Amino acid sequence: MTRYYDQVDMGDELASVEKEVSDQMVLDFCDVWSSGGGASRFTDHEIAKKEGLPGAIVPGIMSMNYMAQFLAGWADGGQLKKLDVVFRQPVQHPQTISFVGVITDKNQVAGENQVECDVYIQNAYGDRLVGGKATVVLPGRK
Amino acid sequence: MYVDMHCHSVSSDDSRATVEQYLKWIQVLRKRGQQVDAIVLTEHRKFDAEHDYSALSSQYGVVVLKGSELDTRYGHFLVYGANQRLQRSFDFTDTKLDSVALMQEAKECGAIAIPAHPGRFGIGFCEYVDKGPDFSDVGIVELLNGGSRRGENERAEELVGKKSFLGTGGSDAHFVSAIGTCLTEFPQNIRNEQELVEALLAKEFRAVRLEETNHH
Amino acid sequence: MTTQELEFDRSQLGVEYDAGSFPVKAESIIKCCRALGESNPIYLDEKAARAAGHPGLVAPPAFCGIFVRGFGRPDIKLKAGGGGMHAGEVIENHVPVYAGDVLSAKTSLKDVYAKTGRTGTMVFVVWETSFTNQRGQKVADVQESFMRRA
Repeated sequence: MTRYYDQVDMGDELASVEKEVSDQMVLDFCDVWSSGGGASRFTDHEIAKKEGLPGAIVPGIMSMNYMAQFLAGWADGGQLKKLDVVFRQPVQHPQTISFVGVITDKNQVAGENQVECDVYIQNAYGDRLVGGKATVVLPGRK
Repeated sequence: MYVDMHCHSVSSDDSRATVEQYLKWIQVLRKRGQQVDAIVLTEHRKFDAEHDYSALSSQYGVVVLKGSELDTRYGHFLVYGANQRLQRSFDFTDTKLDSVALMQEAKECGAIAIPAHPGRFGIGFCEYVDKGPDFSDVGIVELLNGGSRRGENERAEELVGKKSFLGTGGSDAHFVSAIGTCLTEFPQNIRNEQELVEALLAKEFRAVRLEETNHH
Repeated sequence: MTTQELEFDRSQLGVEYDAGSFPVKAESIIKCCRALGESNPIYLDEKAARAAGHPGLVAPPAFCGIFVRGFGRPDIKLKAGGGGMHAGEVIENHVPVYAGDVLSAKTSLKDVYAKTGRTGTMVFVVWETSFTNQRGQKVADVQESFMRRA
């Protein structure tokens, strides 16, 4: 259902979403992203460990795409205008991660209904592994 | 008075929040019955002299003060009351500043430098307190840091208990909604950086979490 | 260490390079979205995308970032240890991307600076890239930060 600008307010939380990230999903993503770039810290647990990581990790650009997906899914009928992400801690896989967000500002700029959000990717302990700030444009009522 | 003693605006490389966004968010917190009266912008490796936030400060009813968070050989240090003399004495962009010299010079300038997030793994003051130089100038550390990972604030708490330090609280916010999550409660009213230094030296403050300020 | 002391080829700051052109293939969009567990049909089925009013299969909103890996970037001769972790990314979308688009990219070195953190001294390298489609429309701006341990 379309989400309209007048339905949201500062301080509102975005309904959180959980996602189970499997080794296979990362492998498939890397297949597109690095076009068969071979085994890496993203796809091979042993290589990751040799690089000092606890195990294979989700590529930053995949986390970025997950966050974009979370926001686009929330902003039904709207668009993701800007997403600015800081990769704070490696996101290991396989792992169930959750996406949380909150609206921090609302502004009408040059005819656009802009909504600012803080978004995070959390692990099961609530550690915020990835943090981001997004600008989403929502439709107004006709 | 509740003061967020540690936050970063877009003037720091890794922050995504503007000062106005922080102040707008504090209005959301106030509607929830929570109290944030002042914030101290402690930008990374710099003192932000160029921006004037006085208009925003009166518009939103939040005192906006300026400090710095500097990278030293023994972890990050929060500096309050940094003046031109202190800025001339040290290159704030240096990532290997001499912590002891910084504390001493700050003291002589009427400023104060304290270890930030001392429990932070790998870089916090806890890693150095017993093996570095003479840290007898340290009497206050940041006890509650909103950017801490699991176990890090606990390490700071242990340090404060063991050494009988005083502890401040700050959110270490880099994103809007993190502002005010940790605070320092002062009995005094603080209007400027000099009064903040005096209030710290008066030693009558405590670190609190945002939830503790709730009036509802 | 100060940022001024960092050794790298400063003459490359702000110099724009042609990073090549990138065809947006429907199969790549679909494969990428499946890997992300996407269920919205506008990213998975061209017919559904058209039925929803789009001119073709829609690329997801951070898709441009995927192409950046293929860039042969110039050596900035940075003298700082190894590692090389992706530290941050910004994507600003201007117009939507559809399967069949051909994007051209221009990239430049934006910033290099030093700081300290849980893992010691780190050097950050920031690149800026702008994507334009075959109609000459500015599609997206992407900024990436990479971190190396000094």
